[in-house]
Amino acid sequence: MTEPARLMAKDVSVSFGRTSVLNGMLTSVPDGQLTVIVGPNASGKSTLLRSLARLQPVGKGQIILDGKSIHRQNSRSVARRLAILPQMPTAPDGLKVRDLVMRGRTPHQSALRQWSKADAEAVETALEQTGMAHNADLTLEVLSGGQRQRAWIAMALAQDTDILLLDEPTTYLDLPHQIELLRLVRSLNRDTGRTVAMVLHDINLAARFADHIIALKDGRVFRAGPPAEVITEANMDTVFNLPCSVIADPIHGSPHVIPA
Amino acid sequence: MILRLSVLSLLLSKRAVAVGFGLSGLLALALLAAIMLGAYPMSSTQVLDSIRGQADAVARMIVIEHRLPRILTAIGAGAALGMAGAMFQTMLRNPLASPDVIGFTAGASCGALLAMILTGGMVLAGALVGGLSAAALVTLLAWKDGLHPYRLILTGIGISLTLTAGADLLMTKLDALTAAEMAKWLVGSLNTRSWGDVTLIWLGLLVLTPVALWLQFPLRRLAMADDVATALGIALTPARLAIAVTAIALVALAISVSGPLPFVAFVSGPIARRLVKGGAPALLSAAMIGALVTLLADMAARSIPMVQLPAGVFTAIIGAPVLMWLLLVQFRKGTL
Repeated sequence: MTEPARLMAKDVSVSFGRTSVLNGMLTSVPDGQLTVIVGPNASGKSTLLRSLARLQPVGKGQIILDGKSIHRQNSRSVARRLAILPQMPTAPDGLKVRDLVMRGRTPHQSALRQWSKADAEAVETALEQTGMAHNADLTLEVLSGGQRQRAWIAMALAQDTDILLLDEPTTYLDLPHQIELLRLVRSLNRDTGRTVAMVLHDINLAARFADHIIALKDGRVFRAGPPAEVITEANMDTVFNLPCSVIADPIHGSPHVIPA
Repeated sequence: MILRLSVLSLLLSKRAVAVGFGLSGLLALALLAAIMLGAYPMSSTQVLDSIRGQADAVARMIVIEHRLPRILTAIGAGAALGMAGAMFQTMLRNPLASPDVIGFTAGASCGALLAMILTGGMVLAGALVGGLSAAALVTLLAWKDGLHPYRLILTGIGISLTLTAGADLLMTKLDALTAAEMAKWLVGSLNTRSWGDVTLIWLGLLVLTPVALWLQFPLRRLAMADDVATALGIALTPARLAIAVTAIALVALAISVSGPLPFVAFVSGPIARRLVKGGAPALLSAAMIGALVTLLADMAARSIPMVQLPAGVFTAIIGAPVLMWLLLVQFRKGTL
């Protein structure tokens, strides 16, 4: 069921107090693809993504990055290969977009070597890719929700990693901004070959943008595979308890869920 | 702005550099004024002459034996407190989380007091042990699935009050004369400082300032959020431990020469942040503001004739309104 990949969860269990959130989770994030994790509320989507990025300590099992347990590896070395944008990140007041993006270079720097030519280039590239170059000197507070999310993504991009994880990057964005952001994420995946995995709430957007979908139910992987295989009427009924029809999107051909 | 020295490349904001120069100028002016003013006013030439050893014996004694040690101790202690305050406030992402609010300073004073009662000396060691124990106790009591700043602050305020009461209790073990002396010390006093105090605080600063500046690198990242700092590859626990121990050492050092000057650690960081902007921890600016506040408070204390008022009275007069204002701002923003 799980193909070998650079980033994998092996029998991972996580519980908060007595509530078990992940239950022997076994899954992998396919290299070079755009993966979307879906599932009902409390199915463990965010916990899985956070565990994969070593932000969440795991009880049992292991997260494997490049063949070794992620928790046994130096955090800085992990940060040069894997970037994650957590849900609703916070920054101190008065921070400018460029300063934020520059922080993304942290794993490539040290207290004595705080800036290099490679740092400057990576920051400019990240600002360009996210379309934030002309906003680089604004403080985060004055940005709109969509722009702020782009600034944070630019920070994660400046980290210059092969793997990029995004925890619900479209929360609080209106539909046009959601589409714009997902297009950006897909172009990052297509243009640079980055492995991307994210949590999304909207099944139809997930079906349209993902190469690979991981559907969770009760802290386990219920189905994983290409959208057409995972997003079916039967699966939606089981995972979300949602009677529905699934048709092919007339424009993009991806599966489209229409709740009954 | 990038500062390069062979393999070293440091990132500095132009504003931070400008603020640094401005504060240094102010501090130099305050220093000169502090030497000149007093019960025996002096001209700037008299001051220079006495430092060069060319003035009469009285002027020399006043400058070299009385005013300079007191002033240099004030600057050193203020700088140490200001830097320590900014470190904790940045690390815990809350201006209320300064060592004098959350009990670490009270712990250090208790430790110093206990050391004085038991051994008659060992003030620095006592302050260090007291400060670290208070920090460990507060952290332990506030810990529940990680460390939430507001819980740490409330626990710290409780511990702070308890330790202050503990210090009062310890005082009853002393004879009246020593107790009166200690009471003054507990308010934070710079009366009758010696060159020994000056040497202690400045040697300590010489060692700890580079460490603090080095820790500014993880500190900047910790200012964002635990998740973001981890994502960027900062190992949280070692970084926090190093920052806390360094900051507590600075507090202990300051306390052992000047007593727990209230609110100096607390006001310096927020003022520095507002001057420097850009969300930087600005440790050097905070240190200079701490020095300036302490020096000005001590000058105010000296300016009142006949009574020997401790400088701590005046740092409290400056600090208390700032505390109220920050509480109000945070309450309105809903971040308390």
